Amino acid sequence: MLPHLDAAYNLARWITRNDHDAQDVVQEAVLRAFRFFEGLRGEPKPWLLAIVRNSCLSWLQVNRPADLAGFDDRVIETVASEEEGPEAQAMRTIDRRMLNEAIAALPAQFREVLVLRELEDMSYKEIARIADVPIGTVMSRLARARRLLGESVRAVSKAAGSADR
Amino acid sequence: MTNEEALRLLHAYADGELDPARMLELEAHLAANPSARAACERLRGLSAAIRAKADYHAAPAGLAERLAASIPPAPVTRPRRFAVPRWLPSAAAVAGFALLAWIAATVAMRPGEDERLAAEVLDAHVRSTLAGRPFDVASSDQHTVKPWLSARLPFSPPVADLSAQGFELTGGRLDYVGGRRVAVLAYKRRQHLIDVFVWPSAARPHEPALTRDGFNIERFARDGMEFWVVSDLNRNELGDFARLLAEHSAL
Repeated sequence: MLPHLDAAYNLARWITRNDHDAQDVVQEAVLRAFRFFEGLRGEPKPWLLAIVRNSCLSWLQVNRPADLAGFDDRVIETVASEEEGPEAQAMRTIDRRMLNEAIAALPAQFREVLVLRELEDMSYKEIARIADVPIGTVMSRLARARRLLGESVRAVSKAAGSADR
Repeated sequence: MTNEEALRLLHAYADGELDPARMLELEAHLAANPSARAACERLRGLSAAIRAKADYHAAPAGLAERLAASIPPAPVTRPRRFAVPRWLPSAAAVAGFALLAWIAATVAMRPGEDERLAAEVLDAHVRSTLAGRPFDVASSDQHTVKPWLSARLPFSPPVADLSAQGFELTGGRLDYVGGRRVAVLAYKRRQHLIDVFVWPSAARPHEPALTRDGFNIERFARDGMEFWVVSDLNRNELGDFARLLAEHSAL
C-alpha cells in the first residue's frame, strides 16, 4: 500500500541516526509526497527519496544543526590514492557494530550517498536527483565517503589488533 | 591512462557506472598495474562488507499503520484526482505517437503523385496500343502534328523530328492524364511504339527512369513542360531517346 516505505525509512534513519526522529520525518515526508503527488516525474522511488531526504535536512536544520556542520558544498578535492580502502582481510573480519558506527560517524553528505549507493543500490543518476547535485559531485562524494570509511575501519582494526596483543 | 586518472575512475568502475569506452581503457590499465588492481579489489571488498553488514532499517510495522491512518481521506481522493495529470501526458504522448505512426504509414502506403501518374501514363499507353489506335493524326511531319495538337489543347507541345536518329514520328493524339488533357506524340523504333506524354507543368525533379510491368518509363521536364516517355523498348535505347528528345524539344 505504501511502496518504497522501507527505502524511505532506511534513508531517514541513516541521515537522522535516530529511530524516533526517522519515524517523524518519514511520516511528514510521505504526507508531503501525497500532497505534491502531481509533482511526480519519472521514477517514483527517487522522487520519494528526494522528498524524504529534504525533509530530513530541514528537520536537522531546525533540531540538530550541528549534524549539518560543513554540509554545504565545501568542495573537498580529494587526491586519488591507492589507499582506496582497508585490506580485504580487515573488511571480512570487521565487526558489524563497528562498521555501522563508522558509517554513522561519516559527515551527513557522504553518509547519504553511501547509503543510497550501497544499501539502496541506486544509480549515480538517481542519487544525483535525490541529493540534487551533479553526477560528478555524487562520484566525488562517494569516493570521499569510502575513503573516510576505509580510514576509520583501518584505525579500528589496528586498535583491535594492538588490543589483542 | 595515468595512474591518477585510473584511481579517480575506480569508483565509477566498481559501481558499474563507467561508459564502455573508458571501461575498456581502465581495464587495460588494471591489467598492467597490480597496485591499481589491488586498490580495485579493496574497493569491492569495502562495498561488499557494507552491503553485507551495514544495517538496513526497514520501516517499523507501526509506521505504515500510522501513515495509513493519517492519510485516509487523502489517498482515496487525491491520487485519483492527481493521477489525471500524471498519466494524461503519457497517454497524450502515446496517442500522438500512434497518430504520427498512422500518418506516416498512410503516407508511405499511399502512392505518391509520381507513382499515380506513372500508372495513369502506362494505362493510357497500353489502352492505345490495345485499341490499335496509336494516334489521332497520322503524320511523320512535325509541322503537321504540332499544329494539330496546338489546335486542340490549351498549350503547344514541342514536337521533335528524330528520324535521323532512328526514331520515326508516326503521329499525335490527345489523352487524359492526371486530371488534364495532355498531348501524346507517337514515335516508332523498329516495331516498338513509343508514347511521349507532354503537358505544361512547373519543372519538378524526378527520379528519371522507372520500369512498370515490363514497360520502361523515362521522365524529364523542360521549358515548363513535363515529358513522360513510355515504351516496351529496352531501357538503354529509351534512355537515349529521352535524351535526344530533351535536346530537340526546345520551344
